[in-house]
Amino acid sequence: MRIETSRFGALQIDGERVLEFPKGLLGFAEHTRYALLDAGDESYFWWLQSIESPQLAFVVTDPTLFVPTYRVPIHSDQCRELSIASPEQAQVFVIVNKRGHMLTGNLQGPLVVNVQRRVGQQLVLSDRRFTTRVPLVELPRPQLQAASA
Amino acid sequence: MLVLSRQRDETIMIGDEIEITVVDIRGDKVRLGITAPRQIQVHRKEVYDAIRRENAEAAGVDVEDLNLARAQLRANRRRNEPGTSPDAGE
Repeated sequence: MRIETSRFGALQIDGERVLEFPKGLLGFAEHTRYALLDAGDESYFWWLQSIESPQLAFVVTDPTLFVPTYRVPIHSDQCRELSIASPEQAQVFVIVNKRGHMLTGNLQGPLVVNVQRRVGQQLVLSDRRFTTRVPLVELPRPQLQAASA
Repeated sequence: MLVLSRQRDETIMIGDEIEITVVDIRGDKVRLGITAPRQIQVHRKEVYDAIRRENAEAAGVDVEDLNLARAQLRANRRRNEPGTSPDAGE
């Protein structure tokens, strides 16, 4: 399918790259369909690009690349809703934000996706060890980047 | 908003299945016990709000931020810097 995006122009998307979030993301309940786009050669980050809204896109990452001890408890009801029968079917992403010169990950509100059914949900963890702003990568300061000023 | 007065160990019912009991009151702190079906998620509201706010802000991350991050991660990996460099599993 062909989708319009404000960041990447018009894109041709394989249907296999489309993820459905029936409940949307928190604060974005009306946006339920996203395309998972590669964001470069290394698989640290992906774009979760809304199919319905060209300007809406989130950067997501695999949190275990940065926090190896991170685990997401998934309740049996959530497993049912996402048709997850075994842990291998579940892929966890977290949404990336920028705070000052740091990229942070929202480890308290992870996205759990059934990779086979391509359906996902944003969870709310009550575990307070993992916050909404876990530092992931410190960005180089702009003054050191001649081209970015 | 419906406002009810309750004392310690008293309970309110929401529908047939959700019970909220005042477990303890100390100063300005109230401890509540909540019994609800498993499919009803119970969270502190500030956690919900924090995630919603974080989502809204994260929608503003741009392509250039990500390019900088990827360059930094490549540099970390070349230096094999512990702590800041993710284990890429290669």
